[in-house]
Amino acid sequence: MIILLYLRFIKLRFQSITEYRGAFIAGVIAQLFYYAVFFSLIWIMISHFKTMNGWKPMEVMFLYALNLLSYSISACFVFLPFANLSQLIQSGEFDAICIKPMNPFLFLVTSNFNVAYIAHFSLSLAVMIFCIIQLKIAINCFTLFLLITFILGAGLIQAAGMLFTSIPAFWIIQNISLQAVFFFELKAFIQYPLSLYNRIIQIFFTFIIPYAFINFYPAQYFLKKNDFLMFHPSFQFLTPFVGLFLFFLAYRFWLSGLKNYQSTGS
Amino acid sequence: MELIIVSNLHKIFKVLIRKKGLKGSLASFFFRKYKKVEAVNNISFSVNRGELVGYIGPNGAGKSTTIKILSGILVPSGGNVYVNGIIPYEQRKKNAFNIGVVFGQRSQLYWDLPVEETFDLYKRMFKIDNAKYKKNVELFIDLLDMNDFFGTPVRQLSLGQKMKANIAIALLHEPAILYLDEPTIGLDVVAKNNIRKFIKEINKERQTTIILTTHDMHDIEQICNRIILIDKGQLLYDGKIESFKNKYEGNCILSVVFKQEDTVFTHPQLKVIKKEGNKNIILFDRKNITPGEAITFIARNFETTDLQYKEPEIEEIVRKIYEGKNEKQE
Repeated sequence: MIILLYLRFIKLRFQSITEYRGAFIAGVIAQLFYYAVFFSLIWIMISHFKTMNGWKPMEVMFLYALNLLSYSISACFVFLPFANLSQLIQSGEFDAICIKPMNPFLFLVTSNFNVAYIAHFSLSLAVMIFCIIQLKIAINCFTLFLLITFILGAGLIQAAGMLFTSIPAFWIIQNISLQAVFFFELKAFIQYPLSLYNRIIQIFFTFIIPYAFINFYPAQYFLKKNDFLMFHPSFQFLTPFVGLFLFFLAYRFWLSGLKNYQSTGS
Repeated sequence: MELIIVSNLHKIFKVLIRKKGLKGSLASFFFRKYKKVEAVNNISFSVNRGELVGYIGPNGAGKSTTIKILSGILVPSGGNVYVNGIIPYEQRKKNAFNIGVVFGQRSQLYWDLPVEETFDLYKRMFKIDNAKYKKNVELFIDLLDMNDFFGTPVRQLSLGQKMKANIAIALLHEPAILYLDEPTIGLDVVAKNNIRKFIKEINKERQTTIILTTHDMHDIEQICNRIILIDKGQLLYDGKIESFKNKYEGNCILSVVFKQEDTVFTHPQLKVIKKEGNKNIILFDRKNITPGEAITFIARNFETTDLQYKEPEIEEIVRKIYEGKNEKQE
């Protein structure tokens, strides 16, 4: 039932987009261009160094593609509602969500599917396939299954990051800067191999804010690396579990934030 | 049958005390002081099935807060609320099926899509079966004249058309209760009348209980048979609209600007309640002297440059009642 409703919402969003075809296409092209420049910058920088702590340029590209691909998948579902939560609350739209016969969390996610991430998705998928070919990564049923599972798990970690950083909106009504720092800026660290940084940062991104599980650990399985710092090699398989656990935790916290919701005047 | 029961309802908001100036801003950044504001202070009432209740009061009186508690958006700080046997904030989902809510300042429609699409979405969200959906859509199209714009993208609709569609959507799942928060705000006279007629019609046909907040006294007069008046979170009046009118509506106001500043004005029925230079605010009771007589008297005996007749506005009546209440307490 909820799935049918979700498909309905997605259909409505597609219909809305077709009303503004020009704007949509322009947006997709702009995003494609932005991330293409980003990929080229990384490429230029690491090919200048030849290797980065034992990581070849193509391997670092793979790292970034993993990050962007999982982000694009989770952002389709969670970006619009949770990056704009404080605005939804300020404008009073959130009130209207609370009187729908649905869980507000589910309503937000289902009614805010964002098709525009097709740009990130296609670009990062293309780069990933290119890396797989260049690095001669063996792809069979099993490794493909693992790859997809890791990407989905990484997507859940990203979604949990967005969720966690949206929760303060229930209290302080303004959380944009917080989200910018703790989600978007912090993730800049995982563009490069974690082994580049000092111990404290390695521990921080493994246990405190475990963004390293988005790409650094799972990538090593496919790249046949053994760069596990002070941690156990089994960390390369943990991504799906970390993802599920964090997402569940974020969801529970989000609901308790909702309980505190005060609404705004009139 | 009592559909809505509110007893000893309280809602307290914590509001940050801000100090003036840069120094004050810095101080309140580090040391936060809050004061407690009682948005709703010990309100009790109950509403029977099929009643048309006007819930009125000045801005900031606590109307919206009450509506939000009744619809399950806010959790009260104290007291009990039952809507159709349910505690709304504990069972939001279940409560949603019993109520329809229209916020006059906010549209529920998809901006870029035809009205029809939002209807269809609500059909799915509220699990309305085909027969019921078809029956209701036909009824609303007929009663609200929606035929012309049912297939038009919402962004091309007028404010009145959007309001009609919003009210229709709120009623699509046949809720027992409809909350209307300023449903006629910003509309022209014709659109206002259509909407008022429709609300009464629905109430008559389906026994839908309606709670309406508004600042438009005509809304109240034409739709409601009972009013609940609140101010500063407290209940001031709850009863039949006729007795409210008899009690307070006699008072009318004339605003007169005399040519000479030192004009001395006396009349047994006309009382000067305020004087600002040449401008005199005169209060009289319509039961003792008609507005026509009052105006004629002033025009005959004095030289005036301006004369305005005002019916008392709801805000003024509310103030007066409130002041009267304070005096009694003292």
